[in-house]
Amino acid sequence: MTRVTIPVGPQHPLLKEPLSFRLTAEGERVMEAALRMGYVHRGIERLSEERNYVQNLYLLERVCGICSHVHTTTYCQGVEALLELDVPPRGLMLRTLLCELERIHSHMLWLGVLAENIGFSTIFMYSWRDREIALDIMEDLSGGRIAHAVNTIGGVRIDPEPEQIRAARHRLNALEDQVDDLVDVVKYEGTLKVRTQGVGGASLEQVRRHCAVGPVARAAGLDRDLRRDAPYAAYDRLFFNVITASDGDVWAATWVRVLEVLESLSMCRQILDDLPEGEVSTRAPRRVPEGEVVSRAEAPRGEVVYYIRSDGSDKPARIKIRTPTLPALSLVREQLRDINIADVPVVISGIDLCIACADR
Amino acid sequence: MRDLLSVLVTVFIFPGFGFLVACAFLFEWIDRRTIARLQARIGPPWFQPVADLLKLLSKENVLPRQADRPICTALPVVSLAAVLTAALYIPVGGRVVYAFEGDLIVVLFLLSLPALFYFLAGWVSGGVYSIIGGSRSVLQYFSYEVPFLMALSAPAILTGSWSISEIISQQTGAGWILLVQPLGFLLAVVGLIGKLKRVPFDIPKAKSEVVGGPLTEFSGRKLALWHLTVDIQTVAGIFLLVNVFLGGGNLAFLRYSASLGLVRAAAFAVKALAMLLILSVTSALYARLRIDQLTSLGWRVLAPLGLVELAATMLIGVV
Repeated sequence: MTRVTIPVGPQHPLLKEPLSFRLTAEGERVMEAALRMGYVHRGIERLSEERNYVQNLYLLERVCGICSHVHTTTYCQGVEALLELDVPPRGLMLRTLLCELERIHSHMLWLGVLAENIGFSTIFMYSWRDREIALDIMEDLSGGRIAHAVNTIGGVRIDPEPEQIRAARHRLNALEDQVDDLVDVVKYEGTLKVRTQGVGGASLEQVRRHCAVGPVARAAGLDRDLRRDAPYAAYDRLFFNVITASDGDVWAATWVRVLEVLESLSMCRQILDDLPEGEVSTRAPRRVPEGEVVSRAEAPRGEVVYYIRSDGSDKPARIKIRTPTLPALSLVREQLRDINIADVPVVISGIDLCIACADR
Repeated sequence: MRDLLSVLVTVFIFPGFGFLVACAFLFEWIDRRTIARLQARIGPPWFQPVADLLKLLSKENVLPRQADRPICTALPVVSLAAVLTAALYIPVGGRVVYAFEGDLIVVLFLLSLPALFYFLAGWVSGGVYSIIGGSRSVLQYFSYEVPFLMALSAPAILTGSWSISEIISQQTGAGWILLVQPLGFLLAVVGLIGKLKRVPFDIPKAKSEVVGGPLTEFSGRKLALWHLTVDIQTVAGIFLLVNVFLGGGNLAFLRYSASLGLVRAAAFAVKALAMLLILSVTSALYARLRIDQLTSLGWRVLAPLGLVELAATMLIGVV
């Protein structure tokens, strides 16, 4: 059979962000995939050396459009460690609240994208409609739906009133009802299962070899979550389960993510019920003492690592960002070998790539 | 002169081309609107299908250099002609443009032609996605067409006639064929969904896999005609199933004289809309299958069921 090269990307209905796969196919079978990235490289790491620590907050928030808050959280944690600042408990709690709301909206967005890619537009519509509730809560708290500008070095910039907290709690209840329905769909819907079960399976060995993180790794049975293993912000004060599965296929990853949404909802509720009184931030000096630090956080897609080096001035000497998409990309290349063309969108979307994060 | 005029009216206005195109727009709108409501959206206004068609008609008509230009230009016209011709033989609420013994076979043949042209469109238009989409559409064709043909042959065998009008009139007093052959009706609906390439069988044009499928390289007027073809195919398919399985404009078990033409038309319209509703709801309910899953469904489940249906019908005929 003759081999054909099928270009997927940089512009393709399957991809929401520019990334390029060249698939070599024999008939309906993909033999191998070549990967090319860098279409949305913006030079953010270099730009961050030009700006001072406060200005960088707004730059780094724009690394990613979906997990914007987790990037500033990781960055702030690193700078706070260098400054040896203690963030007030209320500030930490609010920071965590936004992290979890962001996870909810990221996972629901992802579920919609997966549904759309397997031709299930109804679930795409439902999931994105319900995701609006999470966005509304964030808008009410911070004024921003996607870029919240909540974090600041030394705490957060929001201090919600009691009625805002009440409203948020109402909205969380509404959201939970909807998410319960979506969980049922993932659990019982036949065509969705037929398309995702046994597709894009990653073994525990593959996950370890490619250093994959986040829901993809947990779906393969790797029980690792920074929120529990190396608690940051206020995670040591919250009760939650780390969801894992064993199959490693796209259905398992879907299952892990929808259950994580439920866990996040419960965490948000714990935070709102138990929000300590007091200040939300402490004053931070402009200059950061000389030193270097590695800061980590669990983004919706897995572990985000920031390396920050300071030379004692008001600007960082170097910021290096490592996002969870990078190992996922090397894993996806391996998974795109010897599969059906129709499974390509399932595999690619199953891994939840964030190209803007990876290219920076 | 008067005869000529009435022939022209029948062919071009009712129940001919004008009526069909109007129905095509109406059905597309109802379909999109229903799906939208099921998906918690509002859906387009009533004139959207017309506006879409006009927009496409006025747009630039581009083809890649390696495409076979004459064939690509001819294909949408020929397939539109095929479905329009097929629709002329299908009675609408008791009125038909032209009928003869054996018109069911002609209709089935003409309705399956667009699938072939669709495949050719993918093959000659010179894109990678088009070729994959085209080969998928052929695989899909063999999976749904066989059960579809078996499902529609059973009523013909049961009534002993290959004329649609005859099949309808046999149902007048005896009740709908649906009541005797629910399995056949189910197979016919599944086959129709496959024919119209609707979810969950929209495999040849799956946009996340093969972009636009065979029609990826088509644009402007040619694409507009393809869309119109699918719309008219929907109308023809629904009318055919209403006639064969639901007794056309007849009300179950009820005999009434020809003077009740309006009741007949209303009954036909209600049935056609119910059929459309079935199609719309199914396409909102499912995810798209993979081509190998469809072929295995077609050959392992649908085709054997079709055989059972045919065998049962023949046995009834013998007894």
